[in-house]
Amino acid sequence: MDILKQLSTEAEQVEVVNVQSESTTVGFEANRLKKSQVEETRGVAVRVVKNGRLGFAASSDEAAAEKLVSNALESAAYGDEIPIAFPAPQSAPKVTTFDQAITELSVPRMVEIGQEIIDVICLVEPDALVNVELERGVQHLSLRNQAGSNVSFRRSPLSISFEVNRIKGDDVLFMFDTLGTTVWEDDYLAFARRLGEKLELAKRSATIQSGRMPVLFAPTGALVLGLPLMLGLNGKNVYTRISPMVGKIGEKLFDDKITIVDDPTLDGKFGSASYDHEGVAHRRNVLVEQGVLKGFLYDLKTAAQTSASSVESSGVESTGNGSRSLFSPPAPSPTNLMFGAGETPLAEIIAGIDEGLLVENALGLGQGNVISGAFSNSLSLAFKIEKGEIVGRVKDVSIAGNVYDLLQDVAAVSRETEWVYRIFSLPYILLPDVNVVAKE
Amino acid sequence: MRDKIEAALKRSRADYTEIRIEEREATTVAYRGKDLETASAVIDAGGIVRCLCKDRGWGIATFNDRGDLLTKVEQAYQCARVAQSEEPIELAPIPVSEDRIAVTLEHDFRGTTMAGKKALAEEYNSILLGHSDRIVDTQCGYNDTFSRVFFANSEGTFIEEERPMITLWVMVITRDGDNVQTATETRSGQKGFDFVQGREEMAQAVAQRAVDLLSAETVVGGQYPVVLNQMLAGVFIHEAFGHLSESDFVYENPKAQEMMVLGRRFGQDILTVLDDGSLPGLRGTHKYDDEGTPTGRTDLIKNGVLVGRLHSRETAAKMGEKPTGNARATGYRYPPIVRMTNTAIEGGETSFEDMIQDIELGIYACDMYGGQTALENFSFSSAYAYMIRDGQIAEMVKDVILAGNLFTTLMNIDAIGNDFEWMQAGGTCGKGQGGLPVTFGAPHIRIQNVVIGGK
Repeated sequence: MDILKQLSTEAEQVEVVNVQSESTTVGFEANRLKKSQVEETRGVAVRVVKNGRLGFAASSDEAAAEKLVSNALESAAYGDEIPIAFPAPQSAPKVTTFDQAITELSVPRMVEIGQEIIDVICLVEPDALVNVELERGVQHLSLRNQAGSNVSFRRSPLSISFEVNRIKGDDVLFMFDTLGTTVWEDDYLAFARRLGEKLELAKRSATIQSGRMPVLFAPTGALVLGLPLMLGLNGKNVYTRISPMVGKIGEKLFDDKITIVDDPTLDGKFGSASYDHEGVAHRRNVLVEQGVLKGFLYDLKTAAQTSASSVESSGVESTGNGSRSLFSPPAPSPTNLMFGAGETPLAEIIAGIDEGLLVENALGLGQGNVISGAFSNSLSLAFKIEKGEIVGRVKDVSIAGNVYDLLQDVAAVSRETEWVYRIFSLPYILLPDVNVVAKE
Repeated sequence: MRDKIEAALKRSRADYTEIRIEEREATTVAYRGKDLETASAVIDAGGIVRCLCKDRGWGIATFNDRGDLLTKVEQAYQCARVAQSEEPIELAPIPVSEDRIAVTLEHDFRGTTMAGKKALAEEYNSILLGHSDRIVDTQCGYNDTFSRVFFANSEGTFIEEERPMITLWVMVITRDGDNVQTATETRSGQKGFDFVQGREEMAQAVAQRAVDLLSAETVVGGQYPVVLNQMLAGVFIHEAFGHLSESDFVYENPKAQEMMVLGRRFGQDILTVLDDGSLPGLRGTHKYDDEGTPTGRTDLIKNGVLVGRLHSRETAAKMGEKPTGNARATGYRYPPIVRMTNTAIEGGETSFEDMIQDIELGIYACDMYGGQTALENFSFSSAYAYMIRDGQIAEMVKDVILAGNLFTTLMNIDAIGNDFEWMQAGGTCGKGQGGLPVTFGAPHIRIQNVVIGGK
């Protein structure tokens, strides 16, 4: 049964997406190879517009094609009228998302790499217990719609996730990060060495008093600042008017050291591809430029809804940020989210801090009233900076604030940037005056 | 299906093999504001093979294509051969079970039409939307899921189980200039359609709370005595302590084992904590866990002393303890790992009035947004809170985030309420595998010297 053909006789618009993927994973637990896993996934997701109403259905059961079709039509029967238009064929940038070298990574080679990572970390911290998971695979996505779009692409994602636990009595240190790429990186150990440096620093202890002080957010910690902004820039939250940035395009909301870009056209990066998951061509989107709000992230539906309801002063179109997983319809999502590099070398930033805090890892990301810009996080890894030097690790410390206040005055942004948590490129960001609470 | 599964198990070359197949249909109706986000159904079917080669390790194959189980078993076996465990991996023994658990729901949601489900969500949604003009966004949703799970292993266990779950959630966001506040509530259980009907009062209460939070002051950060309501106390024990009781954290780690020594004092005499996956109707309940181990009550802390932990077959064998029925997986894409089921602080003696009477300046913290632990550090946010002044509940405050060190915090619990309740919330625990249904129960509790982040 050709689902597209069949549904085209029953609905004005039809979109059929087939996903198929295979992956292989090896996992180390507490420094030892513990498991290996093979995964196969396949499924079909369908959207239809019938009598102007939008419906969705999905299935991973090949035997259930007829039920899938009737589910899609039933969903549209009860769906809302949405002025959405599935795109006609469009040209898109060529973006490298596939590397044979990754798909040819043998299991023994993956085991070797995992062991190399553990060795780098345990050299610095012999008491560390490291969990590492390496996953490599091939993903195929194909999209067809009644407007003639016929897009298919494949990716070869490689992810390396790690978690480090080091326990000495009641003193517990915990950190985690994930690397993601679709093109093989020769210096795959770079992040492990960086981690080793942090562990070395953590061997010394320091104490800190509660109060307001300069806080330097390392890239892994800067997500605390990035997460509320991500929510604020999301077209869904613009359409529903809960983003604090609604109606402020063109306004200077932040310090001019803040530039934020979403760029899915970078070869080999985890969020990259030629098209989004609705067949819309990818492009580089500038969201904030030197503190001035330039745009939001939209998919087809949120752009259509936003334009129809005049939330923003002019009509908007999809920015190519429609993202989906098999069982969910598309929603706006960043692809590769990048905060622009600054002008100041990191060493200089640290040297200029008389008394402050360096935030590496925070707990509880996403808790609390994040959409309002508020963050309040206890820190699983943070250091005291005294007279221009990192003097030791502090424990039982938390920070709080609101990014819409704090990012109006940024003391410095580093030249150096790092890719963290797969799709974020972040520099070190120094805020001069943040509330720090330390347990006495 | 049974024949295919048993034939594949017979052909396995591993020391131990299990196959879990799941066929699931789920319907979701979700409103956002006045818009219907979706009224749709998904069909999800797939399976997982786990093979254990004792002198090597585990191999896993997950799949949607259930046509060729023999190949999947072979793939999983080859994966197991790659593993390099230093010591042989044993599994603690469990009884061989043969069981078929069919579900009878009085108002089976499979008999309700999409129209009926949509009408229910629409009704609650209009209560939210109409409550106040300061409400700028709402979410109101309904989900039902019906799974058939087949579990079989090379020891001869064969279990077929039907698993229903129904969930209702509401969320309200209010706005007053730059002041944006949120209130949410969920209800979920292994129940029929009647479970989500008649919840109009709940919807109204959520809407009102979001409005009230607009005029609440941000709490002043610092150390306070804090009284937690049942919901927040339940989240606290799940996040701050429950995860440390999961033996996969402890079993590979001699230093962590030193931390979690049975017999070590964790709290005062009044504190007792347990996990029980066998209690009827609760969200985390199953007759067997996902390794075929019967579930039951496990005491974790008894009168302040650590007396037990939660196990899978592997962690139990490693630590010389008994399996507890806590090996659970979030669907067929994942292997079972040690997870909580229904976790609770047992009720005590103190009335709520007595608990707050002696507090000159403190906080009454209620419900939660979510929580997270990194070993000894925890962090969780209460959905709303009130100051306690001179033994009385006073003004509402917001942005109350409780964070701290587990050990000192548990020792600082100095009163346990006489008002125990099991929560019927839609809690999911996201330990590396995405959301697994769990629930928690507790009475009011009082903790001294809690660090509260705030202004």
